[in-house]
Amino acid sequence: MATTSAPGTEFSADLGAAVAAEGEDLPPGIGPWKLAWRRLRRNKTALFFGGVFLVIVALSVLAPVYSHDIAHIGYADQNIDKPILIAGKKTYVLDPTGIPIGPTWHSQYLLGADSDGRDVAVRLLYGGRNSLEVGIIATTITMVLALILGVWAGFFRGAADATIGVILDSIWAYPAVLLGIALGATLAISGINLGIFKIEGTSLYVPAVVVGIVYIPYVAKPIRGQVLTLREREFVDAARQQGLSNFRIMFSEILPNVASTIVVFVPLILANAILLEAALSFLGAGIKPPNASWGTMISDGVNTIPAAFHNVLVPGIMLVLTVMSINIFGDGLRDALDPRSKVRIAH
Amino acid sequence: MRRHRRSALATVLALASVVALSACGSSSSSSTSTGAAATTTSGSATAAAGGPVKVVVGTAPDSLDPQFGYTTQAAEADWLAYTGLTTYAHANGQAGGTVIPGLATALPVVSDGGKTYTATLRKGLVYSNGKPVKASDFAYTIERALKLPWGGSGQFYGGTIKGAAEFAAGKAKSISGIVADDATGTITIHLIAPYGAFDNVLAFPSSGLVPSGTPMKNMPLTPPPGVGPYMITNVVANSSFQVVKNPHWTPIPGIPSGYNNISVSINPNVSSNALAVLQNSADVFDYADTVPGSLLPQIKAQASDRYSKKIMNSTYYVFLNTQTKPFSSQLAREAVITGIDQNAMSRLGSGTLIPGCYFLPPGMVGHPTQPCPYGDPASGGNLAKAKQLVQQSGMAGQPVTVWSQTRSPRQQWMTYYTQFLNQIGFKATQKVIADATYWTTIGNLKLNPQTGFADWNQDFPNPIDFYLLLQSTAIQPNNNQNFGQVKDAHVDSTSKRLGATPSSRLQSIAAQWQALDTYVAQKAYVGAYGYQTFPAFTSNRIDLSKAIFGPQYGWDWSSLTFK
Repeated sequence: MATTSAPGTEFSADLGAAVAAEGEDLPPGIGPWKLAWRRLRRNKTALFFGGVFLVIVALSVLAPVYSHDIAHIGYADQNIDKPILIAGKKTYVLDPTGIPIGPTWHSQYLLGADSDGRDVAVRLLYGGRNSLEVGIIATTITMVLALILGVWAGFFRGAADATIGVILDSIWAYPAVLLGIALGATLAISGINLGIFKIEGTSLYVPAVVVGIVYIPYVAKPIRGQVLTLREREFVDAARQQGLSNFRIMFSEILPNVASTIVVFVPLILANAILLEAALSFLGAGIKPPNASWGTMISDGVNTIPAAFHNVLVPGIMLVLTVMSINIFGDGLRDALDPRSKVRIAH
Repeated sequence: MRRHRRSALATVLALASVVALSACGSSSSSSTSTGAAATTTSGSATAAAGGPVKVVVGTAPDSLDPQFGYTTQAAEADWLAYTGLTTYAHANGQAGGTVIPGLATALPVVSDGGKTYTATLRKGLVYSNGKPVKASDFAYTIERALKLPWGGSGQFYGGTIKGAAEFAAGKAKSISGIVADDATGTITIHLIAPYGAFDNVLAFPSSGLVPSGTPMKNMPLTPPPGVGPYMITNVVANSSFQVVKNPHWTPIPGIPSGYNNISVSINPNVSSNALAVLQNSADVFDYADTVPGSLLPQIKAQASDRYSKKIMNSTYYVFLNTQTKPFSSQLAREAVITGIDQNAMSRLGSGTLIPGCYFLPPGMVGHPTQPCPYGDPASGGNLAKAKQLVQQSGMAGQPVTVWSQTRSPRQQWMTYYTQFLNQIGFKATQKVIADATYWTTIGNLKLNPQTGFADWNQDFPNPIDFYLLLQSTAIQPNNNQNFGQVKDAHVDSTSKRLGATPSSRLQSIAAQWQALDTYVAQKAYVGAYGYQTFPAFTSNRIDLSKAIFGPQYGWDWSSLTFK
């Protein structure tokens, strides 16, 4: 795999200089990926927050275990007017005027109840699952489509570039949240029906598709820019001289050189996707009830702020912690891959 | 390290902004509510004398066009701007349900065995745009209501006025049963059959006259001119509108000219609406909204002199589509009524619901007094029996879509109802629709909604007003109000017969209405889960000695003024 000297997100041009800049003896023949891993390993803060994110993922994945074996209540189960036993004491989860209980610090209703009599801790973990699932699917959609469109537009240029550019500009022209609301509200009723490909309006995949589409231009355009430069390089010329087809050149020469860009974008898009999903769910255009999402939990909790502030605080903290940990880890990853890179999401 | 110190600072700021954002409510609140929702100042805010009274509502009117709007939010404004031949007394309590002459010189003269109504227009009336009112404008108004169509047009006009149904179907160019003489101002209305509540029909805002030639289309943003002490202006969709004094209003006895202009802000966050009124940055909490339970202790402690609960004739229910599975099965409908926990529904509604099973509310003539046919609604529901009934119906496992509005507590009610349907053996999912489009969405027959939230607040104190929702003639392709698509010949014929009795003799047929309502409950056509009490909640600036809270439209905005 060749490296280039172009500034931006690819590896530094002169591996020797980079190795020298490390200021220590490195094993001979160390590749750029290993060099990046060494840099990342030394960034304790990035690793710590990467660990925090993994803990959040693990807790979310274990949501069914917590729900079934510890809390003994499902994420949508409601206790409204019948008392339950908490630490041997009969407790009404909602009082006669609908005010929910606060944190009990016991296995049941550990972090209290929401205004529907549901366990906040259970919904928090399931909400994490849903938010992460939507975020990961959306990120996958964004990266795959952005890569295809960006490489195609940058490599073939001309009419293909112009057409793809118009599509990307059209999406980019709308503020992400507004576009997400418009698409989310429409698809919530009708769902997505493309013949063999059908998604119900209440499915989690609807907000995932919406968020995925919204962020395509933010990735496709930088990739396109990079490919425009790469296609003029001598190694691409050499590949053409050897008679390789366009597709072969894209796969074997272009793609490996944009790999680091893709790797850097993934945590960036994931963080933004989770935030956008939360915003859409807060506004009613994202994940549908009774499915949990941090955004819907905050939205549901707004009406009970005076009496049950925890319903807003708890999912808010989780959201901030998750996005922050992804962002800090992503910063560390970018620094490790190319300290000079200037990757940003322009809004 | 600098970057990560910034990250830590960013974390704190992000956390603070999440908290602040949530406390301020949804994204629409601060920009739409004229400063009401986002402020946290305490104590009384001063307003300029004669400044507008600020009303905060949680749901936008479906339309402020009187010949289309059919929600309480629309009626609250429209009845002050669009006066019909008759109108309601501006009075508190039961007296507010009395029909009085509006644009007519007197209540219509009824003849021909109750089939002919004759009224004469007052002289010198002009619309809010200065155009003179003509008798023929009445015919045009009714035609317009049929064409748009207004949600009650099929029942109240098409089902009562001769020729109206033919006009609505496009088979006639005018309504043959309305004869208007512009020279004398006389309006004669011939009915198909006697209809005891026709004076009430003439008092609907949809019967409020508009000029001939007004476009035959819904005009929600630029409502047509009308005759009334007020007019509606500056409509911003789903955001705000103004109800201002009509400069061309000619005083009519019994219809006050009003005090202040009204500024209405629409904010779906009812919590912040209630806080705004508590903190006196808004003046009136819409009676059709529910004060969140989390705020009730605070309101009762700080504002007990300006908060009270009013009982109005209203029923909250889930509609059950009798024409499509699973609720085409009576057993499946019985399962819903047997099993639903009305105490739970009440808690979710901040304790404002009175449990009940009958369609007619307790304050309405004809409300049955015998026990509910499927168990005591205050007992908490019988889940086991409900599951059994679902099995017996053969509808177990049927997918069901539950339709819901977004605002609290309606969404909570439907979330609970969806869970309940899953518990008793259906495969239910919830679909939440923006409030502003909810009624038109579920009123679209093509969608064929199976079940979901519905409520009915009386238009007038006569059971026939509720039974329009259950008459088969009320089913219409758009803006349908018979959401359950009930087609029962006994309901049709009995309600039609009883509806012919003049309102003045309602008590004489109370037992017959009770029998019909009991029949409807036994057939489980309606999943009633309670009768709402409504909040009468104002700021400390409002002069409550002058304010009127009527049984038709809640707060009479024309009576609101400052101390």
